Amino acid sequence: MKKNIRFYFAFYLAKISVIALKIIKRDATQFPGKLAITLCPNFLEQIGKPKTIIAVTGTNGKTTVCNMIEDCLRENGYDFVDNQLGSNTNSGIASTFIKAAKLSGKPKKDLAVFEIDERSSIRVYPYVKPTYLICTNLFRDSLMRNAHTEFISNMLTTNIPEETKLILNGDDLIVSNLAPANDRVYFGIDRINTDTDSCENIARDIIVCPKCNSKLEYDFVRYNHIGRAHCINCDFKSPEINYEVTEINLENKIMKVKHNNEEEQYDLINNNIINIYNMLATITILKELGLTKEQINPVLRKQKIVDTRYSKYEVKEKEVITQLAKGMNPIACSRAFDYLRKESGNKAVFILLDDLHEAANGSENIAWHYDTDFEFLKDDSIKQILTAGARYLDTKVRLQMADIPLDKVVCQRNEMSLVDELNLDGIDKVFILHDLYSISLKNELKEQVIRKIEEE
Amino acid sequence: MEENLKIEILFPEFCNLYGDISNMKYLKKCLPKAKFIETTFDKEPTFIKENVNFIYLGPMTENMQEKVIEKLKPYKTRIEELIKQNVIFLITGNALEIFGNYIENEDGSKVEALKIFDIFAKRDMLHRHNSIFIGKWGNIELVGFKSQFTFAYGDNENNYFANVEKGIGINKESKLEGIYKNNFIGTYLIGPILILNPMFTKSLIEKMGIKDMKIAFEEDLSAAYEQRLIEFKKL
Repeated sequence: MKKNIRFYFAFYLAKISVIALKIIKRDATQFPGKLAITLCPNFLEQIGKPKTIIAVTGTNGKTTVCNMIEDCLRENGYDFVDNQLGSNTNSGIASTFIKAAKLSGKPKKDLAVFEIDERSSIRVYPYVKPTYLICTNLFRDSLMRNAHTEFISNMLTTNIPEETKLILNGDDLIVSNLAPANDRVYFGIDRINTDTDSCENIARDIIVCPKCNSKLEYDFVRYNHIGRAHCINCDFKSPEINYEVTEINLENKIMKVKHNNEEEQYDLINNNIINIYNMLATITILKELGLTKEQINPVLRKQKIVDTRYSKYEVKEKEVITQLAKGMNPIACSRAFDYLRKESGNKAVFILLDDLHEAANGSENIAWHYDTDFEFLKDDSIKQILTAGARYLDTKVRLQMADIPLDKVVCQRNEMSLVDELNLDGIDKVFILHDLYSISLKNELKEQVIRKIEEE
Repeated sequence: MEENLKIEILFPEFCNLYGDISNMKYLKKCLPKAKFIETTFDKEPTFIKENVNFIYLGPMTENMQEKVIEKLKPYKTRIEELIKQNVIFLITGNALEIFGNYIENEDGSKVEALKIFDIFAKRDMLHRHNSIFIGKWGNIELVGFKSQFTFAYGDNENNYFANVEKGIGINKESKLEGIYKNNFIGTYLIGPILILNPMFTKSLIEKMGIKDMKIAFEEDLSAAYEQRLIEFKKL
């Protein structure tokens, strides 16, 4: 598209702001993009873009998948731009383009990897047309922002450019029906021994056939609406999977991925099914780009889940495990609850899911508690549940609604004295589940727990 | 008598957004001997042929709203009859719009609704409204949350559910929330409103003929309610 004077004015001002922000060491910001879009509303349309754009969207796993793709590309000598330091909205993407553009407004690099917020699709895809778009999953997320999955999937289908090739989770029936006219490949995991015939989650967002409204019959359920299903009345069913995990060996930490009748073995980062899906999404896009297993697996093998998402510390034969459980995100929290209940040994669990911003400035809408499977915490292996924060009284009610006996529960306002109540008798693992914005609180509690174990 | 109570939950497999279905889970904890009937979308509602004491319909997607309207249209007269008979209806979130005249899309097209109450709704899918709520229902101070794409318009002056103290009514200009006629309660409030409002819940149970009942986890619900009321008033 031909660039106009308004574009150049916005572009050069934004470029100057990039330099200024760099000088004051505040360059991880979306400000330049925001400025450019304010001055020139179709800035994203006019700015020069790399030839190949890989975009990653979905409710959960976007950041992890982007990080893995970027590590693999980097280690294999690819040069690209990404929005890792900015935001995943239109302003963040514009900021990345600005930083990576020559003074002519043309791109310096031929490849880009972007994490794109689902809700921003309406402001991004009319101007930025990804070559590949990966969608990891679509679940209930912040109800205040994302409402429900039908709203988000409609928004994606309406805005995804027709030329974009989709890389979709074929085990997610909402995702697999996005933008049906687009070229696509599916990734998925074949039935595993933890799959069931019925769903035990509260939230399940696709129950009837989108074609004929008849009831869907699930061939197997993994969690929530993840699984494989078919319509009892018409030809609608889960898609044929192009990249399929056919075997998971948790003991040896390997999985086999089948594509075009050939099976390849990859190393697993850990035993969490969420991470296996994230790895599979990464392998799928990289194979589509033409990378080989020999180029991908050595990088994936070295991947470490960042401490802000998961960490494990061993002290005096006990494990202290921290795990991100994004507040206001019912499925992320339910997955964390499910993961810890299925871990071996006796456990004590700290739950710190309050939104700290809301706690300081407002009063959090706790409706999401009731889409979240707190019922998973009613497990014989969970000996103590400790929770604190602004919403501790609400959490106490929610735990009772899940039939969890109060003699197992400690609920109090003050987070910092919570460790005083921790009973380590017979406990093998202490889990600390925390919100994205509670990292420093999590770190402090982790230190306190470790000290308590050491002093025992 | 509790065991004679029949509570019908309409289309729980779809009309379950925003944790609202917890209202019925909570009512089950309060009334363990009552009969809860979960009517799925492929079944005929029980209220057509049998007397029920309480009918619940929770929030749903916009696509589902249109299907529910079509499903309930043949039973409009029966619904009006039940409202006259003082059957309790608890209708939350955008389910309220189903009982109005129509729902208007951004492009001006209209989805005809049941036309039981003289209100209509306008959708604005690009702007989601979120707010806290304090309002008076009789002498009970209600607390709650709103999160919605639509607002309702029309005259609810003579049949509003709550007088707004903080937040908005059926639209941003209104201080009158929802619809309350006989025992029909329709409100844009979402989430676990029975759990958030123990006195309201007690009052609904009393309307079903059970007086002075200690509701489930009453002390803890009351403590959370008091805390929220103080927080909301400070905002």
